[in-house]
Amino acid sequence: MKVTYNWLKQYVAFGWSPAELAERLTMLGIEVEGVQKLGGEFEGVVVAQVITKDKHPNADKLSLCRVNDGKAERQIVCGAHNFKAGDKVPLILPGASLPAKPGEAPFTIKVGKIRGVESQGMMCSPQELSLGNLVEGLLILREDARVGQPFADYLGRSGSDVVYDLEITPNRPDLNSVIGIAREISAVTGNPLKRPQIELQESGAPAADLVSVRLEDPELCPRYTARVIRGVKIAPSPDWLSSTLEKVGVRSISNVVDVTNYVMLETGQPLHAFDYHLLQGSTCPAIVVRHAGEGEKFKTLDGQERALTSQMLLIADETKAVALAGVMGGQNSEIGANTVDVLIESACFKPQNIRATSKKLELRTESSYRFERGADIGICDWASRRAAQLILQTAGGALAPAAVDAYPKPFEPKQIALRHAQTDAVLGIAVPVEQQVQFLERLGLEVAQAAAGAGPAGGKARQTTVFRVPSFRVDLKREIDLIEEVARLYGVDRIPATPPRGAIGANAYDAVHDQLAEARRILTGLGLTEAQGQTLISDAAGRLAGATGLVPLANPLSNDMNVLRPSLLPGLLDALRHNISRKSYDVALFELGRVFRAAEASGPGGSGSGSPAVGEQRCVAIALTGQRNPLFWSGDDREARFDTYDLKGLLEEFLEQFGLRGMTYVRRPESTALFLESATVHLGRFQLGEFGQLLPPLARQYDLRDAVLLAELNLDLLLARRNTSKSFRPLPAFPAIRRDIAMILPEATTHEAILQAVRQARPANLETVELFDVFRGKNVPAGQKSVAYAFTYRQAERTLTDAEVNAAHEKLVVQLQQRLGAVVRE
Amino acid sequence: MSFLDQVEPLKQSALAELRAAPDLTALEQARVSYLGANGKFTALMKELGRLPKEEKPAAGKAINGAKVDLEAALAARRSELELKAALPKEPTDFTLPGRRRVLGKLHPLTQVTEDIVRSFRKIGFVVADGPEVEDEYHCFDALNTPADHPARDTQDTFYLANTKPGAQPSTLNPQPSALLRTHTSSVQIRVMEKQQPPVRIIVPGRVYRRDNADATHNPTFHQVEGLYVDRNVTVGDLKGTVEFVFKELMGEETRIRFRPHYFSYTEPSFEIDFSSALTRKMGKEWLEIAGCGMVHPQVFENVGYDPEVWTGWAFGFGIERIAMIRYGINDIRLFYENDVRFLRQF
Repeated sequence: MKVTYNWLKQYVAFGWSPAELAERLTMLGIEVEGVQKLGGEFEGVVVAQVITKDKHPNADKLSLCRVNDGKAERQIVCGAHNFKAGDKVPLILPGASLPAKPGEAPFTIKVGKIRGVESQGMMCSPQELSLGNLVEGLLILREDARVGQPFADYLGRSGSDVVYDLEITPNRPDLNSVIGIAREISAVTGNPLKRPQIELQESGAPAADLVSVRLEDPELCPRYTARVIRGVKIAPSPDWLSSTLEKVGVRSISNVVDVTNYVMLETGQPLHAFDYHLLQGSTCPAIVVRHAGEGEKFKTLDGQERALTSQMLLIADETKAVALAGVMGGQNSEIGANTVDVLIESACFKPQNIRATSKKLELRTESSYRFERGADIGICDWASRRAAQLILQTAGGALAPAAVDAYPKPFEPKQIALRHAQTDAVLGIAVPVEQQVQFLERLGLEVAQAAAGAGPAGGKARQTTVFRVPSFRVDLKREIDLIEEVARLYGVDRIPATPPRGAIGANAYDAVHDQLAEARRILTGLGLTEAQGQTLISDAAGRLAGATGLVPLANPLSNDMNVLRPSLLPGLLDALRHNISRKSYDVALFELGRVFRAAEASGPGGSGSGSPAVGEQRCVAIALTGQRNPLFWSGDDREARFDTYDLKGLLEEFLEQFGLRGMTYVRRPESTALFLESATVHLGRFQLGEFGQLLPPLARQYDLRDAVLLAELNLDLLLARRNTSKSFRPLPAFPAIRRDIAMILPEATTHEAILQAVRQARPANLETVELFDVFRGKNVPAGQKSVAYAFTYRQAERTLTDAEVNAAHEKLVVQLQQRLGAVVRE
Repeated sequence: MSFLDQVEPLKQSALAELRAAPDLTALEQARVSYLGANGKFTALMKELGRLPKEEKPAAGKAINGAKVDLEAALAARRSELELKAALPKEPTDFTLPGRRRVLGKLHPLTQVTEDIVRSFRKIGFVVADGPEVEDEYHCFDALNTPADHPARDTQDTFYLANTKPGAQPSTLNPQPSALLRTHTSSVQIRVMEKQQPPVRIIVPGRVYRRDNADATHNPTFHQVEGLYVDRNVTVGDLKGTVEFVFKELMGEETRIRFRPHYFSYTEPSFEIDFSSALTRKMGKEWLEIAGCGMVHPQVFENVGYDPEVWTGWAFGFGIERIAMIRYGINDIRLFYENDVRFLRQF
């Protein structure tokens, strides 16, 4: 919505500068999105009168003058000679700038000394003001020039104005009008709102004899007023009208059309003017407000033929449609150069219907914009009269007496009671009852029932005023809405901030939040950097995770983002690709986030709604590729790449630090859609997740060159299963004894199987088993491997003897030979 | 030459040799040649027994004194040489880069979220959470969003397919379509449905809007919602809390201003602008940062709270926006590309 500074001033007095106005509107909740200055020539130049003209004490060619600028006397040093005391001249005041020549910076006048004498401004020549006509010396003004008058006014060029582009929130359709904005200013300043006085000369046959109006669906069109003006002369608009419209970005067309636009901007009420003679009816032209036929064709003003649906509302006569109600007029009845008689429509339409029509046809107009937000049903007739007044003024003609006003259910003002103490309770300040009432009255509300209960025992605590809400304030529905109005006018900046106080919150998730933070802390400590991926990914990427139960969007933006991620891994792969394409080859990332799967049907006897529930689950995922260690300048393994055991080690450390013990790892026998080789991670009967190496063809597809290791764990499960209890175990007081075993085993024998065998052998006093070497090659037969374990024996209460450790250890060796077929190397 | 006259010269030559030994091997050789079983000094000591009785005390004292000196010199030289031997051949270049153990980094959005959470927790808030896949009731209806509000359009909100086959999402849908929540405000409703007042929560989380990605939009982004419900909660409390939190987040010199605005679920509603060195660096005195207001009585009625007893306020803001302002990040997409050169800066 655009308004101008000067236009607003016609309806309400205010003493604010253009910048102050912008600030005040903003603080009223009317955000100023743009401010454009128009004109503004000769700012700081006033008509001044020379009082005295004397010689400059220090310069022959200069004179020293006393000049009256309308407010005070100034001392001016001047170099011109063509003037005398008593002459009126343009004077530019310090701080103002002379008009700049193209490409030059403007010259700003300052108070300064010329030849030792102060000069407080400058009297101007026509050239200096860029007025062109070459005169030697100052521009001498007419004798009737008023001293102190802005020079632009003197020239009749006071066209300067400021255009504000305002963001109107959708709850305030009344602010889509100059009068609406002026009303806000009036409410803040207390200066009265000056609505134009309308006195109409009417003559000839009354409107009711000239047109009939029939509403076929009063719900969609609760009011329709028609006025007729005969004998107009279509012509270009007068300057004041066309320039006002152009300032706010509306193209001037002709006097009658411009008036309808002007009144719409002024009052917020969209109007339409028909050429009366293009309307048909049996006895007199008829206006029929009806639904369109399904598929009915209609050519709107913009020349487009549009196919309508039966939901849409049309303005028609007895034979044809003439306008798309509330949206746009038709070509077949539009005002043209030869129009003589005019019918003015001022109506009200149901917002939802206009919105649906406008959306369906992709046709948005100033009119549809206003109707879909809710127009003021109470203003139809006034706006119509205002339009008639201005048409008579600008296009002549005679107004038929009265109007046809189809208005079956007149507006009943809503009444809202305001408990004045409640205002204070919500705002946290004390606003006197009288002030609350005054604010609301200034906004156009009327007191239906004055504050009661003000007796000596009552006080404010019991006082309630009942207000009638005017038709233009569709947003005011209950008490809190009135309190907001009081807050706005009181000024939210004047409500003191009170320090935080009150109850301590409680929510079960609070602890979870900390656990998530702890997981992040551990993972960053392990050298992984946190990523955040898109929730929306492509279905193809979604299927990589082997997911059944993908959750597709009904209205995706694109095929790249058409499902909810079932896994964090596709997002991490995208992140790896992004980094590698930018030559960051060594990447170690993790992400904590939610994944989504369509849950299976809710089981037998479920609700049977047919809507699969969507399961949301937290996951943690890791992706590694490139070099294991940061760049270093020496060492044999400095170029080592991440491998599966890097990932395994990260998982082990993370899980242990996060409070999970006793995981088992089961290799998948086959490659999957994602993994070349992978394992699932288990804790008891729960599968926590999986990890492994990315399938090389997929890696190539993602432009990844080194091995890529990926893991994903169900974080909700980790949270549920973690054990964070900590308790002290005394430090060992007696020494341990270590025995090593190296043995050759078939490749298929896993570390887990070896540990199993050790556990089954139950060697006495065994404290730990640690693998410290795996070797293949020299002296180890093909298909076999050599593994070396360190066994630590310790007794808590005493020092073990070599003999008892040897006995236990030898028994263990025998057991391993028997259970695993191990060949123990000595 | 008398015995006593021999002691001092031998001691001097031994001392000179020990001190001059260039390494531990040479030192050992020197030791052996003087103090070894067949050493010169040992030989001299052996002569002591052959001296006349009256010369013995003086001679013994002299030679024992010399031996103590020699052993001291030997030990001193040995530790000197041992230290020298421990040093690497070439001196270590301490300006060379070390072997780094790299710490991972938290995502900047996580860092900002944690800062926000920390400031709220200082004043008694706890963190709450809710589903990202929501229904229309919790995302719109319960928040007093008008039935035909454009936010519900398929233009602006992501709806899930298959949840209601073939149907346009409808406002008065008895079986509402599943959608991706457009704001964390839906969690207000979820929490209030389950919990009696007072309520004091903040809700960080992902939200979704159907915007094509550009420098200032991403279909996925993060918000934080704050909700406080209690007896006698006022606009003044809202202002005080907002000021506290933004000063914590953006620095003590931050100024806050409230402008009246419109949101369906608060009344009165405000937008919050802030002003600081950061905004001035961006060439603006005031920068819009958040929306807030007093919880609309209708919302309380929807969750079964009595608006005559309880009042409250809510506010919400975008985490990306805070992070962008704070760190001077100019493109929201950077948060989701996970470029390590970006992530490691924070």
